[in-house]
Amino acid sequence: MPRPSVGRWVVWIGLFTTLSAFLYWSFLGSEFSAQRLWRGVPQLVSLFSSRMVPPEWPAAETLWQASLETLHTVVAGTFLGALFAYPLGVLAASNWTPTWIQLPTKAVLALIRSCPVLLLALLFISAFGLGAFPGMLAIAIHSIGVLGRYVAEEVEATDPRALRAIKGTGASKLQVLQHGLVPQVLPQMLAHLAIRFEMNVRDATILGVVGGGGLGFYVLLHIKQFHWERTGPFLLVIVLLVFGSEMLSWQIRKRLL
Amino acid sequence: MHERIVRLEDVRVTIDEKEVLAIDELDIRQGERVAIIGSSGAGKTTLLRLIKGFVTPTRGRVEVLGQTLPIENGKREREFHRMIGMIHQHFDLIGRESVWRNVIHGRLGSNALWRTVLGVYPERELRICLDAAREVNLDDKLHRATRSLSGGELQRVAIARALAQQPVMMLADEPVSNLDPALTGSILDLLMAICDAHGLTLLMNLHLPDLARQYAHRVIALQEGRILWDLASEDVSPERIREVYRRGAQGEDHVELESTGAAAIGWALGRLDRPVHDT
Repeated sequence: MPRPSVGRWVVWIGLFTTLSAFLYWSFLGSEFSAQRLWRGVPQLVSLFSSRMVPPEWPAAETLWQASLETLHTVVAGTFLGALFAYPLGVLAASNWTPTWIQLPTKAVLALIRSCPVLLLALLFISAFGLGAFPGMLAIAIHSIGVLGRYVAEEVEATDPRALRAIKGTGASKLQVLQHGLVPQVLPQMLAHLAIRFEMNVRDATILGVVGGGGLGFYVLLHIKQFHWERTGPFLLVIVLLVFGSEMLSWQIRKRLL
Repeated sequence: MHERIVRLEDVRVTIDEKEVLAIDELDIRQGERVAIIGSSGAGKTTLLRLIKGFVTPTRGRVEVLGQTLPIENGKREREFHRMIGMIHQHFDLIGRESVWRNVIHGRLGSNALWRTVLGVYPERELRICLDAAREVNLDDKLHRATRSLSGGELQRVAIARALAQQPVMMLADEPVSNLDPALTGSILDLLMAICDAHGLTLLMNLHLPDLARQYAHRVIALQEGRILWDLASEDVSPERIREVYRRGAQGEDHVELESTGAAAIGWALGRLDRPVHDT
């Protein structure tokens, strides 16, 4: 084995020093304090152990309605997102679409993706007013950006020879798409959709915090009034909902791939 | 003499500023069984893809089935593609789909878009696919996932798909180079039987010259994109075959000498001492 040269050692030490300095700076910038951590943890524990117990259960109807609103937001938003993401994703794939269409489409998807859901929700709330609708739109738009990119990547990873062979039977471009491309990418597409659904459940539960309706709305309402005993049940439902969607998405992916 | 269905005149194909094909003249007549041999990089695949209409000539005249290539009109191009069945070295099937669906892909060009979208084919169309599957002895595996099949079976699915197109010509790009020797004979026998039964013209690239001599009526040797010789298979002598691989071996590509060229010479010389049996 060749021995590492002195020059290489210098590079490694330089790299290590730079990274360490940057890390230290980041902790400093984020006001990391062991003292505050030490003092805060008991507060956090008391939040769950005394202030939230005994919980004050809201009317079952309220809890049900809020959960349903969150779920509806997710289902409608994810569907709307996927509806646009699939065709846009194909348009953004370099092996399928001419460059002059493909590159701008890819850029638009990247632009959409770089907008966090909460920011989108705030924008839509100011335009369309409070409630589930702007939340649903935010989820839909963000899903277009994320799913569209995955669609493009999966399309680009397909076997070009199999596509050419189907073209060679005399099939039109649309037929090659349906019979050559779709079967190659469908399972991965559905798996990405399942992951997106799971992520959207997570996002939707906190959309209410900025005025997007659903469970998050009640969490914000009760925390603002320091009614921790009323916040607890909503937090519990959020955790259960997210956990459930994660399980569902995992099961779907396990069967698909 | 049969009708001429392929005519190449003064054809040049340049890819990435490199001339990969330079054919001054080539005719193929209906019903012929032609094998193309040559070391890798000699232009065999490019020649087949040129005739299939997948490669555009840089210069010259390419006439196939009465059409001058390239065909600009989309509809006419699809009809042209439909008339030429092609099978490939890597089978190029949709592995996730069933055998049946892969065979039915051969009918895509002959059916209206709405039919293929909805999967509603007339009885006659289904009959064509079923007959094709029967001819390759796969009618008992129609509902199997294609990716679960063996190499020989995959190539049979590909043959059935090409046959379902009801073509007039069959192109085979290294149809057996991914198969073990035991399967090679059975796949080529099947291909010959099918081409004979349907009166198809067959043009195939083969990596082993002995197979070319054994299965084709006519053998064309390519070297660096040019036709080195074009002979009836009974006139192909060991010297002629040595010529094909020897000069290629002296070229720039030394890897070729080590692998394809030398192996093919050895194989060919070993086998050529035996009498050629007609199939």
